Amino acid sequence: MDRHTRRTVEDYRHNEAGLLENNLIDELVGGELDRQDFLRRATMFGLGAGSIGALLRLAGETDLAFGAPLDAVQSGGTLRVGIPVFGASLEPYLLNEGGALAFAGIPGEYLTFTTPQGNVAPWLAASWKPNADATVWTFQLRKGVKFHNGKEMTSADVVASLKHYVSKGSNAGLSPFYDADGVSARGKYTVVVRLKSSIGVFPYLVSQTTYQAIIQPAAIVAKPGTWVASGMIGTGAFRLRSYVDKRSAELVRNNAYWGGRPPLEGVRITFFQSSAALVLALRAGQVDLVMQLSPQEAQPFKNNSRYTLYGLPTAAHRQVCLRTDVAPFRDARVRRAVGLAIDRPQQVERVMLGSAQVGNDNPFWRGFASTDRSTKQRRQNLELARALLRAAGAENLKFNLTTWNFLDHTDHAASIQAYARQAGIEVGIEVMDVSKYYDSEPAGADYFTTTPWLNRPATLTEYGARGVPNIYISRCYMSTGDWNASHYKNDEFDTLARTYLGAAEIAAQRKATKRMAGLLLRDTPIVIDYFIRYTTASSSKVKNYVPEGISHIRLANVGLG
Amino acid sequence: MIRFLLKRLGLALVTLVLLSAIVFGISTILPGNVGRAVLGPFATQESVDALNEELGTDRPVLTQYAEWAGGLLRGDLGVSLTKQVPAWDLLSPALVNSFKLALVAFLICVPLSILGGVIAGLRYGRLTDKSLTIAGISLAAMPEFVTGIVLILVFGIWFRWLPVTAQAEEGANALTQAKYLLLPALTLTLVLFGYIARITRAGVIEALESDYTRTAYLKGLPSNVVVRRHVLRNALPPTIAVVAVQVGYLVGGLVAVELLFNYQGIGLLVYEAARQKDLPLLTAGVLVIGVVYLVVTLIADILYAALNPRIRLGSAE
Repeated sequence: MDRHTRRTVEDYRHNEAGLLENNLIDELVGGELDRQDFLRRATMFGLGAGSIGALLRLAGETDLAFGAPLDAVQSGGTLRVGIPVFGASLEPYLLNEGGALAFAGIPGEYLTFTTPQGNVAPWLAASWKPNADATVWTFQLRKGVKFHNGKEMTSADVVASLKHYVSKGSNAGLSPFYDADGVSARGKYTVVVRLKSSIGVFPYLVSQTTYQAIIQPAAIVAKPGTWVASGMIGTGAFRLRSYVDKRSAELVRNNAYWGGRPPLEGVRITFFQSSAALVLALRAGQVDLVMQLSPQEAQPFKNNSRYTLYGLPTAAHRQVCLRTDVAPFRDARVRRAVGLAIDRPQQVERVMLGSAQVGNDNPFWRGFASTDRSTKQRRQNLELARALLRAAGAENLKFNLTTWNFLDHTDHAASIQAYARQAGIEVGIEVMDVSKYYDSEPAGADYFTTTPWLNRPATLTEYGARGVPNIYISRCYMSTGDWNASHYKNDEFDTLARTYLGAAEIAAQRKATKRMAGLLLRDTPIVIDYFIRYTTASSSKVKNYVPEGISHIRLANVGLG
Repeated sequence: MIRFLLKRLGLALVTLVLLSAIVFGISTILPGNVGRAVLGPFATQESVDALNEELGTDRPVLTQYAEWAGGLLRGDLGVSLTKQVPAWDLLSPALVNSFKLALVAFLICVPLSILGGVIAGLRYGRLTDKSLTIAGISLAAMPEFVTGIVLILVFGIWFRWLPVTAQAEEGANALTQAKYLLLPALTLTLVLFGYIARITRAGVIEALESDYTRTAYLKGLPSNVVVRRHVLRNALPPTIAVVAVQVGYLVGGLVAVELLFNYQGIGLLVYEAARQKDLPLLTAGVLVIGVVYLVVTLIADILYAALNPRIRLGSAE
């Protein structure tokens, strides 16, 4: 190591780094973090590129190269994008559908960006820093960012937006982490967020993975529900020109974009009522890029020079939730038997045509830095499954699996049914319409105690990709979670979960996830048998497009070749 | 004639009132509620309840119906619950879209089917007749989304001659719009051809076997004159009745075709409204489609009478 590197690192440790950053450096030097994990952690704590490069050199790693080199593209042209039509609201704080968030995320932008590799990168926030126990996070905003109405983005807009996202009625799910009172401005370009408790991964939670958290002008936030009517004013590379509900939208280049002039002149979005029409339009050359495809829909675009196919491993997954508080799943042995019946690698091939990674009945995707990788993978073991059922007195186990008609759900349910039969379990499948699955039953009854997805004995539900597993843990597994469809209640798990959520050091997080994963294998409240590869396709003339696990379509660098 | 029209108008009103009441009634057993449809699956029950209260959808259906019907009497079709804009603002562009598609389909389908039916009837029992009849029945038996996908594959994807989505860009001229509508219109033509042609064929055969046709031939009229003046005039009335019913379907019943060709017509709009339990929009949509059906049937009746002097509207009843 050269003297300059050592000097840079020492300077950083003494003058800038707090306790968390110094621990991170110790972890890197001590070999507890590999390069990828170190990058994730370093970007999260807001370390600059210079310090990260020096630290990597200190640890004997090659230096940093952010982002892949971009293809040369011509300036100009209009990109035609196909997005599924959406029924629910387009207002940022209410967003909850793929098509709506993909559209809103073109004119709108976020404080931070979770990269496909799982790092947090600067976006509208240029840098950030936690205090010693990660309860207060200070964000430095990028200067010179202008909204589409010409007004400069300042701390007042960010404070108003962040407060708005914890207000009553917001779908952002940020209210467990901070209160409106906890957000304040310090000068024109600094925003301070005081959290309710320590969260080591807070910058992830204000990235695009919390897709509601678009930064809007304060004046629009002051009147909730007016963003669309105001022309979807954001800071993005393209601004809205026209929008016909359910039909199409046109966006034009934002010449004042802070990231430089985008190559494309405009974007024309067509909203599609059915995925069949969307796929056909891409095949007929009427759209250049589509939002997301199922593995089956992606087949025609494989090995075809006219198209580019994109696949991105993500933490998006399916949860088979088994009600731990009612028969027949009160006995953990019965739940384990269900998990043991499935041949996961084979299922990934059959149901997802290989576009998925095998899961181990926990939400700790192997791409997360906090995931402990030493937990043994659960494999199909029909003998053990039968023995467990016998021991539990449930030899003739029968149950209904409830789900709705979404991408791979019905194929997935049929596959589970077939594997379960091998273990002597009879599974019936109940497929609902989305509105029935996610509504109270009957309509108007208390939601959380009647809705099928949270109350049927066995349910199959989809979860989108996140940069960290916090939301899955706090909402699906903790006894206080509002999406706890398996009604799982385990004090030991809750304690570990709280330890995990408050831990800032990677070692402490991994220790917690290892123990949680062990508990979940034993208790198996939820079977997670695969994590999905996000799949989409474009015409081959589309250049520099990088897909994202949560359906956003980032077009600032995209051009037509 | 006036008496006939007044009577039809009265009946139409009764039909429409019944139609709207039935839609409101049936919708109470549909799953889902508006607040949840707007706010999405993950919204809290509190905010869903608050929105339902604000929209008034937590009130009894009868109250909601009475309010909506009261508005209708003042010429107000109501406000869409999910979009919060007047239902007519959503229905009118969709209706215009549906009319455009129906028109293109009608212009291709009706002359072609009648021609096919006449040829088959004139060549009764021969190879041409059999081929036309079998082809027509086979095509009519195929669901429109199958026919549509085959046409898309051939003309849209293999040859890339025609656009596969039916919606032209905003502000496109009539010719471009017609080009975009060609594939769905062809799909509908293939579906309807067999049906309309069969009715025409049957009419032609019946007319050909009748005494007046024989007389016409016997008095030495050339065949084309016999066909035009005697055969067609007698063969067409049943065809017109059938076509009239199909126009209603072409405007309001094309959910599958609209889905496949990604076209925002009134069928799809009403279907979506039903899914989201948007009662005012759903009922107004059904009513508009009902009006289209009634008007088209009325026109068909008048045409029928004009073609058939044996029917005197009003006095015959």
